[in-house]
Amino acid sequence: MAQILQYLANGLVFSSIIILGSIGLSLVYSIADFANFAHGDTMTLGAYGAFVAFGVFGGLGGTVLGLPIGFFLALAVGMALAAVVAVLTHILVYKPLDTDSIGLLITSIGVAFVYRAVLQASFGTDFLQYDIRRSGPIPVLLDTLDVAVTQRDVAIIVSAAVLVAGLHLLLQRTTLGRKMRATADNPDLARVSGIRTDRVILVMWVVGSALAAAGGVFLALYSQLDPRIGFNILLVVFAAVILGGIGSVYGAMLGGLLIGMLHELTPLLGDIGLPISNAYAPAVAFVIMVAVLLVRPRGIAGDMT
Amino acid sequence: MSALDVGAYSPREKGVAGLLGALAAFLLLAVVTGFLAPAYLLYLVGLSAMYMLLSMGLNVQWGYGGMINFSVAAFFGLGAYGTALLTASGSPISGGVSPVIALFGGLGLAAVLAVIIGYPTLKLRDDYLAIASLGLAEVVRIFILNESQWTAGSAGLTGIPLFFSDWPVLGDLTYPYIFYVGGTPLFNMSQSVVTSALNVVLVTAIVAAVYLFLRRIHQSPWGRVLRTIRTDEDLAETLGKNTFAFKMQAFVIGSLIMALAGVFYSHLVLFVSPQDLQPITTFYVWVAVILGGTGSDRGAMLGGFTIVAIQQGTRFLTDTGALPIGAAPLRLMLVGLLIIFIVRLRPEGILPPERELIWPDSLGGGRDE
Repeated sequence: MAQILQYLANGLVFSSIIILGSIGLSLVYSIADFANFAHGDTMTLGAYGAFVAFGVFGGLGGTVLGLPIGFFLALAVGMALAAVVAVLTHILVYKPLDTDSIGLLITSIGVAFVYRAVLQASFGTDFLQYDIRRSGPIPVLLDTLDVAVTQRDVAIIVSAAVLVAGLHLLLQRTTLGRKMRATADNPDLARVSGIRTDRVILVMWVVGSALAAAGGVFLALYSQLDPRIGFNILLVVFAAVILGGIGSVYGAMLGGLLIGMLHELTPLLGDIGLPISNAYAPAVAFVIMVAVLLVRPRGIAGDMT
Repeated sequence: MSALDVGAYSPREKGVAGLLGALAAFLLLAVVTGFLAPAYLLYLVGLSAMYMLLSMGLNVQWGYGGMINFSVAAFFGLGAYGTALLTASGSPISGGVSPVIALFGGLGLAAVLAVIIGYPTLKLRDDYLAIASLGLAEVVRIFILNESQWTAGSAGLTGIPLFFSDWPVLGDLTYPYIFYVGGTPLFNMSQSVVTSALNVVLVTAIVAAVYLFLRRIHQSPWGRVLRTIRTDEDLAETLGKNTFAFKMQAFVIGSLIMALAGVFYSHLVLFVSPQDLQPITTFYVWVAVILGGTGSDRGAMLGGFTIVAIQQGTRFLTDTGALPIGAAPLRLMLVGLLIIFIVRLRPEGILPPERELIWPDSLGGGRDE
């Protein structure tokens, strides 16, 4: 039982990362209408941006949840960097293209490679770590529930929750959010209604990429940093978006939660005697994704935006 | 190669042929002057031909049928692993089977996988097919990486024999092999040169056979239906065609060609590992196809050649130490930029299909293409 609780706790941390990634992917899918294969590498880009910034602000101020204040500043820098790069990519690469969604999809693979090549050339392929001391599990939870959760895990979950709540408020309570939802729902109708969809698309790139970057930073914080982390997790993020229903931001959140949990619950299959090791966690996510595509291609949240 | 038969062709086609000719002359010069080992040049020719095969395989799926298959690496890898597991001395399950028989092991594995991947995914929308096939290819790679009791895992398979190792004459040559013309010794060839040359002969035969086969089926009614499906699948359905069956057939044929490339690769490099199944292999082949021209087999050949030029050129450039960037990121950067610029500037590729779609007879002079 404690074992399952432990898996669920890990799942919550991993879900937080996947959710941050899946929101941006879903936004691009619904507003720009293509499967963005560069999204994973946008996550990596944010993680490296924060890594460099943390080198500058590292020693700053006290700590929140075991993480220095400087780390949160670095996180903001990473998010801003990813947003700027994504907007530039949109203006320089995607926008001038006269092609269909498949052409955009193929182009985004090229963009992904260029991002990764730049990171690999600048930082090498060695594993890097944010220079933050790892602390042990929180004693209270370890004693009462026998679950090992570090302060860092809690920080990831809380930060992701804050970001997601912020997005929710943006979408539901602001005019900009209404414009975004309208554009995602029906771009042509939005345009004739007087919404400047060009600007909405830019905002969408900013929001999606910044959240992806946050996901990348937390992923690097959770495990480690190398130029492939984003691309390696991209398919899992796709699985979450498809499970949630392409084009639905809230669906993507739900899908991210489920896929993250299932990913971390994979060892359970081994525990009950199936010959499926931990290494198959991504494979489990992909198989679920294909199954969803076959049975219910609209995903669990359908067309809800 | 067909890119070289210059006849009444467009300036662009002549340009491509001229460029390839110049490159061939340059490489020959490099060999004559001793800059490039002959065996290495032959190895590169073999590798280019392997990428040509992969590109032609993808061309059947994407170029003819419009199916976005991102699991090229999986079919290539299964072809390679299929033959390696049967023939290699280091194989954990069998080993020692003749390569000619093992060839069918590799093809069989790929055919089975093609049906397994194709059956659920070919009914999907184009972009879902891309994501799903990439995911399933990763499942194959993860399987090979982790089931080391069958596949030797991350260590990879060693001790793969040469394709001709157990053939009557070719298997028992003595080295250095001296080539006589009229009683006078003409060439004194080392083992590496002879084996590389034999590999080139083998792959040239495969490429030629596949090329002719594809040209034939592309021009057949079957190919016509497939092109209709690519343009408008609903139209094909309305005409009473079972589009799923046609797509499945094209998917399996393309996958078999990719597996053939994998089999050849095994016996060329004599080592396979899960690294060969990385998604980057898939995207190399995609670059080759869209660069050459979607739907064009001559374009696929040009594309295959370009990929090897990128792979080897980056290695050469970084070996000279003239660049501040490693070979791997440079290659990634070039491939990425190529993709972006092709879609932007020449979405139809360098040698788009033109005459390939027309029966030679209907061109007037009855000239064969």
